[in-house]
Amino acid sequence: MRIRKELFADERDDALRLVGQPVRRQDIEGHVTGRSTFFDDHPVAGLLHLRCVRSSEHHARIRAIDTSAAERTPGVRRILRYADLPKKAHNILTIFNFGIDDEPALADGKVRYRGEPIVAVLAESRRAADEAVAKVRVDYEPLPAVFDVEEALKPGAPLVNEYIGRNWFRYWGDYDCQQIRFGDVEAALRSADLVVEGRYQMSPIEHAPLETNGCIVVPAEDGRFTVYTCTQGLFFSLDNTAAQLKIESNRLHFIGGTVGGGFGGKVDTVVEPLAVLAAMLTGRPVRYVFSRAEEMQVSSPRGAERIYIRDGVMRDGRIVAREITHYHDAGAYSRLSTYGTIKSAAHHPGPYWIPNVRVDSWCVFTNRTPSSAMRGFGVTGGDFALESHMDAVARAIGMDPMELRIKNAYRDGDMKAHRKLTQGAALIECVQVAAELAGWPLSEDARRDSSRVGGGGERARIPPTPIARTRAPAATGTGARAELPRSGTGFAAGEPRRAMTPPPSRTGGTGSPSTRPEPEPRRGEPIRNEPERREPPPEPPRPASGGHGAIRFSSVFGSRRR
Amino acid sequence: MPLEVRTTATLAEAASLLQSERAARFMAGGTLMMRAVNEGDVSFSTIVRTSDPAFVRVRAAGGRIELGAGVTMAQVLASRELAFLHPAARAVGGPAVRTMATVGGNLFAAHPYGDFATALLALDARVQLASGFGAREVPLEDLLRGRERGPRQLVAAVSFERPADPAAFRFRKMTRTHPKGPAVLTIAAWLPTSGGRVSGARVAFGAMAPFPIRARAVERALEGRLLSAEGVAPAVAAAAREGDPPTDPIASAWYRQRVVGVVLRRLLLGEL
Repeated sequence: MRIRKELFADERDDALRLVGQPVRRQDIEGHVTGRSTFFDDHPVAGLLHLRCVRSSEHHARIRAIDTSAAERTPGVRRILRYADLPKKAHNILTIFNFGIDDEPALADGKVRYRGEPIVAVLAESRRAADEAVAKVRVDYEPLPAVFDVEEALKPGAPLVNEYIGRNWFRYWGDYDCQQIRFGDVEAALRSADLVVEGRYQMSPIEHAPLETNGCIVVPAEDGRFTVYTCTQGLFFSLDNTAAQLKIESNRLHFIGGTVGGGFGGKVDTVVEPLAVLAAMLTGRPVRYVFSRAEEMQVSSPRGAERIYIRDGVMRDGRIVAREITHYHDAGAYSRLSTYGTIKSAAHHPGPYWIPNVRVDSWCVFTNRTPSSAMRGFGVTGGDFALESHMDAVARAIGMDPMELRIKNAYRDGDMKAHRKLTQGAALIECVQVAAELAGWPLSEDARRDSSRVGGGGERARIPPTPIARTRAPAATGTGARAELPRSGTGFAAGEPRRAMTPPPSRTGGTGSPSTRPEPEPRRGEPIRNEPERREPPPEPPRPASGGHGAIRFSSVFGSRRR
Repeated sequence: MPLEVRTTATLAEAASLLQSERAARFMAGGTLMMRAVNEGDVSFSTIVRTSDPAFVRVRAAGGRIELGAGVTMAQVLASRELAFLHPAARAVGGPAVRTMATVGGNLFAAHPYGDFATALLALDARVQLASGFGAREVPLEDLLRGRERGPRQLVAAVSFERPADPAAFRFRKMTRTHPKGPAVLTIAAWLPTSGGRVSGARVAFGAMAPFPIRARAVERALEGRLLSAEGVAPAVAAAAREGDPPTDPIASAWYRQRVVGVVLRRLLLGEL
């Protein structure tokens, strides 16, 4: 490992003591000797075991739940139902004032994905709980289900989530998808030498941790609850558990620290709220751990993403337009997919300077297992599509794929589609080093090229940008309407919903979406800006009210400065 | 009801217990059964085991080999006389699983498992069944075919002829993860030749049906043929028509049907 001083003169190198060096993990000794303490290594006397009855249907109304035989099972102490929930629906981002409370911890009269918890059994042994679960009879009225993101957006598609009210998440008050508009993509596609199109499909991916999601809750004499948990975000989960149970967070004492495999699969805070509620209602310590089958079926995977890319390309290798439609399959509930969708939009169109960019990133609800965080969600799927597409473009024009990347790479001073000036670009240098190491022949020009030259100037300009808002097909037609489950078992329609908080208002001129009510702008009506009147870069979304509301993310490619 | 474990001194007692108690299930190595217990399977409440020495006995010295149903894959791998079966035993799980997994258990391992059973099928093995009233024998093929619907049987041992020429017994497993993934498909073949031509071949496919099957059309297509590219062509063509391959997370039926001929050709021609 060495810092190339000729390229990165201002990069400090003496601090890099870890990169490229073998480093011993601080917890490795405990792991290899079997002495690390995980949440499940806390022996607790008098435990109750919590097991969930789960939906066998993808989408169904629940007519009746018969728990009589389960209640008579020896060892069963209590059965938790929707009626026991202090807060009827929750989303883990609403504690930051983002998103909509859209998921009941136990079924609200409807199930929206296979494996959704319906009731929870508490018993003296895991075996007794499993036996009781097997005896619960659920009478389903199956509903049409939708499993495909594009099908879900069509008029007449079954409505998945009534809390959301439509099969897509509406951003910033009135945007059906997360949009990027930069330049005139339509015109550029028309004038391009050729147009290269691609469709890229990701599958859901399960984190498959060795230690499945779980926790042990122990009630203390002072009215507090000690929670031994494997969560990745200890205080995030504590706050979410408190919010979901409507208790002060100082009544919870979370003990974690050793996560038996996470990678984003242990932030959803799915086990803790039910287990604490069970401990509150019974006064007993409670253990709730996913079985392996539950971990695979119901813990949130990385969402399936479908990405369409349309590039306008010139024969000399310049990409003059890039149009992206990115569908993020959230499954039946938001979890963190609303945020993953924003990340995907923030990442497009990749580390390339393209003068005309149009991105629509959709967060779509289907009757699949809710998806959520997995390292780089929204970004890695986008990269798979973008870089596969770069290769497709290279093939289409008969250009070397490495040269194509160097030709289109961001350079210092370039304006990004997000209206931020590029600094510290280093993709060209990275490609050069990769080519050198791989013995890949590069042209003399490509070898001599640098991220520090050729950028800025015309490339720093924000081009005239016609604003066109994309609407969901269903939103323009008859649309989906909220069907309320029958009263009594139905979800609480009066549950306070949190509206999306609009971003800080910006003066017009950047072509970015305005939050002021406005008539649908006519397509092709450009908004002109002068380069010197450039707006400051858009800020990350912030709640209007106070509080620690900012949701931040970074996705850095080929950066040479910190 | 708590789970009860009962250990009997003889196989006959274990068989009687299984016949009298519907909620009892026999456990050999437990590699599949303990997984079910841990996952909350409440379909049985008694686990029956046996300490009968016959259950774990290997008789491999003579012309007819007999393996107790409780013989583990690790035991097979430790026996020099059973070297021709080592590729099949090694195909079952990793070292931890092979230490526990048994010959008898593999006969009941649901799709896509059952690699060792596939090898035994190509060896035309016979199965000794234990019962409270004494032992009887059935062809392995019959046991496999009836294992889902047939009466509950306790396997005591399997036996088969030692291959006169160990090189005539071949085994191949195709998997996505090496070295211990579940089978896309498995092929075992007993290919005796006379004057270079195949005579009396037995070919078994694993993971190409809900249970390991004999590929009889392939066997017929091999009869009297040379093991050359031209000679095996009809058998390779017949392979895709055998069985009714399931679609599962490992592979689709479509893929299994298209790839089985390729694997068979490589096995027959001794290609990598």
